Parts: sequence; structure tokens; C-alpha cells
Amino acid sequence: MQVYSVARITGYIRDILESDALLADVWISGEVSNASGSSSGHLYFTLKDEASQIRCVLFNRKRLSIDVENGMAVVAHGHISIYEVSGAVQLYVDMIQPTGIGVLHMEFERLKAKLEEEGLFEPSRKRPLPEYPEKIGIVTSPGGAVLHDITNIISRRYPLAELVLAPTAVQGESAVRGIINALDALNGRGDIDVIIVARGGGSIEDLWAFNDEKVARAIYSSRAPVISGVGHDTDFTIADFVADKRAPTPSAAAELAVPHSGEVETRLQSYIAAMAAALSGEIERSRQHADEMYTAMSHQIDNVISINGEKLRGQELKLDSLSPLSTLERGYALVQSHANGKVISSISQVERGDTIAVTVADGRFNGRVTGAKKGIQTWMKGFPSNRH
Amino acid sequence: MDEGLSFEQALKRLETITESLQKGGMPLEDMIALFEEGASIAKICHEKLDKAELKLSEVQTIFENDNESGEPDK
Repeated sequence: MQVYSVARITGYIRDILESDALLADVWISGEVSNASGSSSGHLYFTLKDEASQIRCVLFNRKRLSIDVENGMAVVAHGHISIYEVSGAVQLYVDMIQPTGIGVLHMEFERLKAKLEEEGLFEPSRKRPLPEYPEKIGIVTSPGGAVLHDITNIISRRYPLAELVLAPTAVQGESAVRGIINALDALNGRGDIDVIIVARGGGSIEDLWAFNDEKVARAIYSSRAPVISGVGHDTDFTIADFVADKRAPTPSAAAELAVPHSGEVETRLQSYIAAMAAALSGEIERSRQHADEMYTAMSHQIDNVISINGEKLRGQELKLDSLSPLSTLERGYALVQSHANGKVISSISQVERGDTIAVTVADGRFNGRVTGAKKGIQTWMKGFPSNRH
Repeated sequence: MDEGLSFEQALKRLETITESLQKGGMPLEDMIALFEEGASIAKICHEKLDKAELKLSEVQTIFENDNESGEPDK
């Protein structure tokens, strides 16, 4: 028994493939998928039909008269060989022609038109996403980078949230059933605020479960609003159209699902500032009000004081006018008996020779009564004879 | 803040309090009481954000680990 090296065997395979007349000059029809150009000008793609696929390479694609795009149905000509570095059997293309639009793309357009007609994409039925979700359902593959990215982003932005993973295959035969089941499991809990349905980038057939009608209907009837983040930003799936919010990538879906805690902090600060401003404004108004009342009260008191002051001055004046001093100042005199100090208001109180004391405005002097006569001169009538 | 209040409800309450304070027209003591409630809600929200750590759980699904390699099926 002989044991061969890998290189020997791949070399042997190549010899066989390249010596076969059919494989050396062959036309193959199929749908283009996974097309990617290299900087050196080569074009790599896959040709496929419902059952199988084959890798293709076209060196120096500048010779091409058409743009080869994914989904394009083509007929390609070339020879089959093996690329020994990877062991891949591939078609080395030297000619390629379009034969119309591929069946998957036709199916996509057919279903999109049908569901659109039914109203599944209506903007009016898109539900708003919760601003501060507490529980976020994640429908994706449990092993992939997608879950890792989503977890990282939400952990960084809004760690208050709880993620609930509903694991599912996201491609292949079981993906459709798995995605629908995952949505059911999450919605069945009743406590999920929003659901992210996500898958990383891939070819149209990798993403095909997200173009499935049953998946579309499951997203449409989901109790919690759904954010789709499927493939890259150039990929559009039916799931994107029917979701409440379409994110261009799984990471973008995570960002759409939660607020940024920094923004929440800012919002909290602004509430505190607004509350403090409102309260201190009110306190300032109350203080002003108190000041105004104080001023008004002071005025009132001043008023009372000044009114009473005037009254007092009036009283003083009145008192003044009643004082005998002012009478004396007008030229009247107070006459008293020198002997006993009694005020003399009648001639009956004196006799010739009595000494009297006379008080005038600026002093007193003594005098002697030399005579008295009853009666009073007419001009003096009208003067009060006794002010007391 | 009421323990039963979700973060979103707490923020809503804070918004309501701020609005009533801004509208005014109530006794100063009431305003001070509202302000104290608002300040304590804001403080609790802030602490929640500060201390939060992302929780991850899983629901049971029919997931069969049949396609993790990402290879095309069939």
C-alpha cells in the first residue's frame, strides 16, 4: 500500500481534470453568488442552482463587457481544474453571459410584492421601540460573533437591560422553523420589551431564511416589536421590510435597541437642574413677596406714626395756646396777693394799701393797691375775664 | 423611589415632577416635597445606571446545533 502526500494527490486530480475533454471546454449555467473582486482585477464568484454550486474564478475581469452581480443568472464558459492551495475544484472562466434574473431574486421580488400588497410593510403598523427596554430578546445563533457583538454593545451602552437569548440556526434547513420557534418562545414569556432578530453577513442563500414567508409572518405577528439586523447594510431581506425597525447590521440593531447611558445621565442631570431652578425661582419669588409685604407693612407703620405725630403736634399747639404763658405774652398779667399768693380776679379781694405780686411774660414785680373801682371799660368787654 | 417602579416609570415620574415644579402655583412646602422626591428618584436612577451589569439568560428553543459550521446544507 502506498501513502501519498496531499500535494501528490491534488496534482493527480489536476492531471485527470485537465486531461478530460469535456471539463477542458465547458459551458455551465447557474446563478451568480458570493461575487467579490480582488484588487488585482480578478473576479471570484460561485455558480449555483437549487442542488449544488461550484466556485469560479475569472482572471482579469477588465476584459468583461458586463458587470457580474449576485443573483444574476449566467452562462459561463471555461475549464475545470483544482486550486491546489485550497483543494477546491473550480471553473476557470474565460467567458460569461447573463441569461436573465436568478430564481432566488425572482422569488424575493414575488414575495416582497405579495406581502406589501397585504400590508405587512405598512409604515402605520410599525410599532415604536421602547425607550428604556428592560428585557431584550435576541433571536440568533448562540455561537456566532453576532451574539458576542450585540452583548458587547448593549453591555457598554445600557447595562441596565437584560438580554434573553433564543438560540436558533440562522441558515440551513432548520433555520426557518428555528427562527419562528425562537420568536414564539420569547413572545410566550410576556415580559420581553423588544426583540432583535440578527444574523451576520452572507450570500443571498445564507440569508434565505430571512426571506421566508413564514418567518415574515412570525415577525409581523410578534407581540414585542422586532428590530431586524440581518447581513450587511447592502443586504435587504423580507424580514427587514416587515420588522418594526430595520437595522443595517446586527451591531446597529443593538445600538437601536437601547439608549446610551451617557444620554440618560445627561437627561437625569437636566431634570435635576430644571427642578432646582424651578424651586429656587419659587423661593426667590416667595422671598420677594415677603420683602414686599415687609416694605408695605413698614410704610403702614410709618404712616400710622406720622399721622399720630401730626395729631401730637396739634395737641401740643393746643396745649401751648392754653398755657398762661402765651396769654402773658399777649400783654396780660397775673395778679396775686403778696400775702397769701391767691390769684386776684376780683376787686373784692384787695384793699387800698395791699401789696400785690404781678407776673408778666418775662418776670414779676410787686405793687401796691392805690385804689379800686368796680366795673370795666367798655373796650375791654369781650375779653374773657377768666380763662380757667 | 418605589421599588416597583421600572427605570422608565422612574424617568416618567421625574419628568412629571419637573413639569409641575416648573408650572408652580402650589405652596412652597409642596414644591420642596416634590423636589425632594425628584432628587431621590434621580439619585436612585443614577446609582442603578452606575451599578448595572448586563444580565444574559436563555429561553428554551428547538435549536438543534445542526448548522454551526455555516456550511451550506445538503
